[in-house]
Amino acid sequence: MDFAPNADQIALNSALDKLASKFKSAPTEFRQFTLTDAELRRELEQGGFFDAAQIPELGPVSAAMLVERLARLPYTAEVALSMLVHPHLGGDWARPLAIVENGRPGRFVAEAATLIMLDGDQVGICAPEPDSVEAVDSLFAYPMGRLKQPPRYQPLPAADADNIRKWIRIALAAEAAGLLQAALDAATEHLSIRKQFGRPLGSFQAVQHRMAECTVLARGVRLLAIKAAWTGAAGDAAIAALHAQESAARVVYDLHQFVGAMGMTLEFPMHLWTYRLKALLSELNGRGGQAQAVAVHCFQ
Amino acid sequence: MEFDWNQAQQEFRTTVQNFLATHLPENWESIAHGPGSASQSEFSKQFCAQLAAAGLLVPHWPEQWGGRNADAWSAFILAEEMWAAGEPRGGQYMNVNWIGPTLMRFGTPEQQERYIPPMAQGQTLWCQGFSEPEAGSDLASLRTKAQREGDRFCINGQKIWTSYAGEAETCFLLARTGTGKKSISIFLVPMDTPGITVVEIPSLIGEGDIHEVFFENVMVPASAMLGEEGQAWDIVRTALSLERVGIPRFALASRMLRRAINLLQQQLRFHQGAMEQAARAQAACEAARLFSYEIIDQRQKGIIAGPEASVARVATVNAERSVAEFVVEHLPETLAGGDPLLLAHHQRGIVAGIASGAAEIQLNLIATQLLQLPREPR
Repeated sequence: MDFAPNADQIALNSALDKLASKFKSAPTEFRQFTLTDAELRRELEQGGFFDAAQIPELGPVSAAMLVERLARLPYTAEVALSMLVHPHLGGDWARPLAIVENGRPGRFVAEAATLIMLDGDQVGICAPEPDSVEAVDSLFAYPMGRLKQPPRYQPLPAADADNIRKWIRIALAAEAAGLLQAALDAATEHLSIRKQFGRPLGSFQAVQHRMAECTVLARGVRLLAIKAAWTGAAGDAAIAALHAQESAARVVYDLHQFVGAMGMTLEFPMHLWTYRLKALLSELNGRGGQAQAVAVHCFQ
Repeated sequence: MEFDWNQAQQEFRTTVQNFLATHLPENWESIAHGPGSASQSEFSKQFCAQLAAAGLLVPHWPEQWGGRNADAWSAFILAEEMWAAGEPRGGQYMNVNWIGPTLMRFGTPEQQERYIPPMAQGQTLWCQGFSEPEAGSDLASLRTKAQREGDRFCINGQKIWTSYAGEAETCFLLARTGTGKKSISIFLVPMDTPGITVVEIPSLIGEGDIHEVFFENVMVPASAMLGEEGQAWDIVRTALSLERVGIPRFALASRMLRRAINLLQQQLRFHQGAMEQAARAQAACEAARLFSYEIIDQRQKGIIAGPEASVARVATVNAERSVAEFVVEHLPETLAGGDPLLLAHHQRGIVAGIASGAAEIQLNLIATQLLQLPREPR
C-alpha cells in the first residue's frame, strides 16, 4: 500500500503542469458556455501524453492522474477517453474519441475520429461517416455533438464490451475528480474574498461545514479513481464512477449556492467545472447504472 | 503507487485471522454485544493474555515494553482485523493504541513500570476522564479540579460519557490545576481510590459503555500527574497523533454491509432499491478505507498527518451512516432480536460522529486548516 507517485510519475505530472500552465486561466473577456483550445490537444499529442498508460513504469494510474489534472483546467479537451479507454479498443482507432450513448448528444461527438457506441447492453466502435455528425449548443460546458443518423457497427463480444465500459467508468471518475477539485478551489477563493455582513462568507460555520463535506467527497472520488486505474478491477471502476456521480450531484448544488448570482454569470468560471460535472451525471445510465454495476461486480 | 499488500503484510493479516479463528469461542456473537459489558471485559482479559503470548497484542511497541517495533502497517492490519471481528480486545484496544504509547512518551519511570507491563500482558482496562456535563466539544472549559495540598492533589468534579468506567482499573483523567484554559493537567488515577463513584448510563450504545464518574475529595499523590502541570493539551495532542486515524470503522462497516446483503439475497429481498443503496454504502466504505490507508502510509513514511486525519474521520462517519441507514431500512428485524452482530455494529456505528470528538469539529478543522477559510469570530 503506497500512495506516493513514483519518480517517473512525478516527472510526468511536472511535465504536464508545465504544458498546462498556459491554459490555467480563462481569457478575461470570456463569456461562453464552454472553453476549448485546439492547441491544448495538439501539445498533449506532441508531448506523447496520450501514450502514458502504455508505458510500463507509468501505467493507467499515471494516465488517470493526468486526466484528473487536466480536468482542473478551465479549458477542456477530449483527453480522458484517449488516455484511458483508447488502449482497450484494439485495432487502430484514431483519436479523439467520443461516446454516443443510446443515440443521445455526447461530449466531443462533433470532432471525434472514433465513436464508441453504447446502445443498451451493446457496445460498438466505428468511425463517423463524413457529414454524419453536427455540433449542438448545450448548457453543458463541453462541446457537444450528435449523430444525424445512427451508424452501422458490429457489436463487440460481451467481454470486450465489459472491458470498455469499465475503462469508461474509470475515465469518468478521473475526470470528475479533477472537475470537483477545481470547482472547490474556485469556491474557496470566492468565499475567502466575498464579504457580506461584515466578514468573508467563508468565515460562516454553516458554509465551512458544507465546504468541508464537499472536500471529503471530492478527495474520495480522486482516491477511488486512482485505485480503480491501478487495479483495473470492474468493481473498483463501478465504485469510483458511482461515487463520482453521487458526489457531483451534491457538490454542484452546494458550490453554486456559495458563489451565488456571480456564479450564474458566464464570466465567472464556475460553470466550466460544475456544468461539465452535470454532463457526467447522466453517463452510463447515471447513478443507477453505476450502482447496478457495483452490485454485479461486488455483491455476487 | 500501489494498492495492494506485500507478502509480509498478507502473511501477518493471515496470522491475525487465524488467531481469531482459533481463539474466538463458538458463542462469540452472543458475548460481543457491548465493549464495556462485564462479560466482554472479562473475556478481553483472557483473550488479550492469549494475544500477548502470541506476540499479537502490542507488536508495534518497543521491545523494551513487550513489542517488536513492528511498523505502522502491522499495527493497522491488526486493528482492522480486530475491529472487523467485533473487537474482542474490548476496551483494551485503547491501551494498545495510545495510552501505553503516551505513557512511554511522557511517563516517569515509576509510572511506566507500574502501568505499562499490565497493558502489555492484556490484564488491565483504562477509562478516559475527558468529557464533562458542561464540557464536550468545548473540552477546554472543563471544571474538574485538582487542588494541590502539599505532596498530594485533591480532585473534585464529574466526568461523563466515560467508556469502560465500570470495569476500568485506572482513569486517564483531565483536571484543572489552575485558572485559564491552558491550566489543565493529566492524572493517572486508580479507580479504587476512595471518593470515586461510577454510575452507568443506560444508552443506545450497549451495555456497560457510558458512565458518569464522580470525584469527591479524591486524594492522589503528586506522582500521579502525567507530565508537567498544565501540559495536558500537548499530551492529548500527541496521544491523538499516536492514535492517528482512530478505530478502523470501515473494516466492520463493510463486513456488516456484506452480511446484510447476504441476508437479503438469501431471502430474495435484494431488490433494485436496496441494491442501489447498498452500492452507495459500499462506495462510502471504500472511500473511508482509502483515506485511512493514506494516513497510515504517511505515518509509515514519518509524515505527520494534519487535517487529512479529519477528512478520514468524516469519510468514516459517512460510511457508518450509510451502512446504518441501509440496515434500518431493509433489515429492521436484525435490530429487533434478529442478528446480534448487526445489532452490535449498529450500536457502535451510531456514535461514530460523536465519540472521539464531534464530526462537526472535524468539519471546522477541514475548513480552517485544509481549505484555509477564515475562522469564525467567537
